[in-house]
Amino acid sequence: MAVQAQAVDVPKARKIRWAVVVGPLLLLALGAIFILLGAYSTEPDATSTFTDEVLGNLFSLPSQATLYAVGALCFFVAGLQLFRRLDTIRSVLNWLLIFSAAFAFLVWVTSGGSMNLPGMFQATLTAATPLTLGAMAGILCERSGIINIAIEGMMLTGAFAAVAFASIFDSLWMGLLMASLMGGLMAAFHAVLSIKYKVDQIISGTVINILAAGGTRFLNIRLLEPAGLSAPGSFGTISIPFLSEIPIIGPILFENQPTVFIMLILLVVVNWAVFFTPWGLRMRACGEHPRAADTVGVAVNRMRYISVILGGLIAGIGGAYFSLGVVGTFEDNMTRGQGFVALAAMIFGNWNPIGGFLAALLFGFADALQVKMQIIQPVLPFINQPIPHQFLQMAPYILTIIVVAGVVGKVRAPAEEGKPYEKQ
Amino acid sequence: MSEERTPKETGLRHRIASLPRLVRLALLAILVLVAVLLSKQLMLILLLALGLWPITLALGLVVLAVSSIWMGGWPWMKSWLGARLRGLVVPALSVLTALIIGALILMFTDQEAYKLMGEGQVWEAIRVAVSNLVSAYKALYEGALGNPGDIIQAIRDSLATADLKPLLKALRAPSDSLVQSVPYIFAGLAVALGFRAGLFNIGAEGQIGVGWMVAVVVGYSFTGLPAFIHLPLAILTGAVAAGLWAGIAGVLKARTGAHEVITTIMLNYVVYRLSDWLLCGPLEKTVGTCRTQQIVETAYLPQFLDHPVTIHWGFILALVAAAIMGWFLFRTTWGYELRTVGANPDAARYGGINVGKIIVLAMFLSGCLAGMAGVVQGLGITHNIALGFQAGYGFDSIALALLGKSHPVGVTAASLLFGMLRAGAARMQSVAGVPTEIVQIIQALVIVFIAAPAIIQAIYRLRKRREEEAEVTVFSRGWGA
Repeated sequence: MAVQAQAVDVPKARKIRWAVVVGPLLLLALGAIFILLGAYSTEPDATSTFTDEVLGNLFSLPSQATLYAVGALCFFVAGLQLFRRLDTIRSVLNWLLIFSAAFAFLVWVTSGGSMNLPGMFQATLTAATPLTLGAMAGILCERSGIINIAIEGMMLTGAFAAVAFASIFDSLWMGLLMASLMGGLMAAFHAVLSIKYKVDQIISGTVINILAAGGTRFLNIRLLEPAGLSAPGSFGTISIPFLSEIPIIGPILFENQPTVFIMLILLVVVNWAVFFTPWGLRMRACGEHPRAADTVGVAVNRMRYISVILGGLIAGIGGAYFSLGVVGTFEDNMTRGQGFVALAAMIFGNWNPIGGFLAALLFGFADALQVKMQIIQPVLPFINQPIPHQFLQMAPYILTIIVVAGVVGKVRAPAEEGKPYEKQ
Repeated sequence: MSEERTPKETGLRHRIASLPRLVRLALLAILVLVAVLLSKQLMLILLLALGLWPITLALGLVVLAVSSIWMGGWPWMKSWLGARLRGLVVPALSVLTALIIGALILMFTDQEAYKLMGEGQVWEAIRVAVSNLVSAYKALYEGALGNPGDIIQAIRDSLATADLKPLLKALRAPSDSLVQSVPYIFAGLAVALGFRAGLFNIGAEGQIGVGWMVAVVVGYSFTGLPAFIHLPLAILTGAVAAGLWAGIAGVLKARTGAHEVITTIMLNYVVYRLSDWLLCGPLEKTVGTCRTQQIVETAYLPQFLDHPVTIHWGFILALVAAAIMGWFLFRTTWGYELRTVGANPDAARYGGINVGKIIVLAMFLSGCLAGMAGVVQGLGITHNIALGFQAGYGFDSIALALLGKSHPVGVTAASLLFGMLRAGAARMQSVAGVPTEIVQIIQALVIVFIAAPAIIQAIYRLRKRREEEAEVTVFSRGWGA
């Protein structure tokens, strides 16, 4: 026995040492990037001005000093991590660091000019909406013990169903409802395959993704377009009276598409349901230790069915965001891999709705910034080329790989995830 | 396809096996040389055999029947066939069921029929729906294997005029099927190799892109090299680059326990964005096309026959890769270690196998194979790479690995089937106006039925066999370390 224990322990010891060094090194590199950007890419007296449509100038920061400050902060936290091992992704400090780094990029981009800050925040929130909805769908599914890589497929189905049924019933809200239901239907299929037939959950998820990609395109060409059912129009922005007139916060939070409001409400509800209700406790128990949950009388598989389908209902709404939110029609593969970014947000947020939301905001910010940078085109020092916007689009994926590898922060999946449960 | 090992050959096999190694190698070399010299004729015969498969099948059965005279007559033949066909029951029924469901979907989404239904002509509507379906599936078949009548007519014409052109024209469909199956074989082998090591390489799509891009870049960057250096160089760099790319996921899994499904999905999207940038930026030839320049002719994978039969040497490479993978998995120490890690990593570690090394190796080889799928497309078909190269081979390959039970022979057979479906779908779209995506739906259904054999067993009331139950593999071990 002793020999076996040793053999198993060796790689673990190595793994921790590796992570301890690489994480801070990445942070040091990030800090160095900011300081280099400050030193070589901004004029010493340039300022970054942030404006608001109503209030005019909000504030302006000296660009160089801000970049130096954030670079120093990166060094400081890297030092802390090296010597005191402050490395859980959930710690407030890490999120603070992540968002100040994001802000530093914004300062660099606007250096010597001005930017509409609430507009930027609003774009971030909008871009984060489908990611958050997808992440919540994944969380509900995975916390109960079923792996869900089918968020993309469920969202795509939702996007298609939204257009189809909104046209048939001539009502956008009916489209939204049916998008949710069809997302739930796909989730139910996933649940039946992985719970009843004990199909490998990753394979089952892949099936959903292929089926959704092929099925929506097929039905779109064969049914919707010939029948003229493919242009129901889109949701405009809805302003909530009074609240939307609050300066700065109003336009960010209370003047949005309906899906954004739904996302914010669901965020509160799901977080409360998963972490503060007996139901949530039982549901999480099914993912962490199904046998124990079964012993105390939780119907594990029924719980899993319910959670997976609830997740699908939410993912369907996320799909409606794409078709009814912006363009008002269905396009092939219109979710463009955002379902997988949502998966990344879920992991980045440590299977926690709030964490998922913060991660989605970060990824949404990268997306909004990327759009901005295509217009401003700030030039990198030394090579005198603008950053290709595709590199910013890669950020969510690379960050997720870094987090999953455990080099910066730690995430932990539900313990018994991916294993079919059989009553004994 | 069915005349494999007649007993006489088995006797021959023993005799050959007892020869010294050098003589065996020389025999193999002579055989290969003859095959290469006669490659045109052999390929023509293969295409004919595919196009006229009922005749091929009948010939095979006759050979079998004749050889059974020496082996013990009908009982022997029955058991010989039974042993080979039993494992095919569930896959064959899965494909059949998926095709039937595909047919139902086609019928229930028929606009013409709905229009007639709206006018109250119910019977007419059903008749139209059925006849549309028949013409669609007929196009699917003809796109996949060609029209047997046309082929026979073309043989007569060609014999009469001593001109190959009509025959080549008639054989275009089977050739297209083989061409489509080439990337499928590579990608399917890639996923299957991962499965054998207990790894789920879902990133084949991205690795295909890496291999394709690197091979094309090597293909146009070097000019003036002779083909026998340039072509292997392009192939190898493409495959190795994709292998290294997949190796990232392997290293992460081995060092930190990061689940390969997550990392390969994320790496996929990194490749997509990277290729967006490269193909519309540094590698673009004419601004606005998002397409690289053509590769130099010395890097072309040569084709066997003339236009419109486009089957190229990538097909032979794919078959060789399958053979090498079979040898590697079942005849070498590394292959044994790889399968042990896949079956039970803890036991493998206890048995003294370096699990981390095997995981990295498996991901690397899997990536190489996936990369080859892109390489053959780039060097054999398109001769460049353009934006939107993702054709779904990477995701379909999961179905292939499942359908072929992660065995090289099975994967190759499944790839031929999927290649036919894909080639047929293209014709179905142009002739019958059915969107090609119906094939994607059919493929997804095939995965469902293969992964959940209980559904097929319930539909056809098959008895469960013990060994089949034991064969069910569980890949997912959760996201965690």
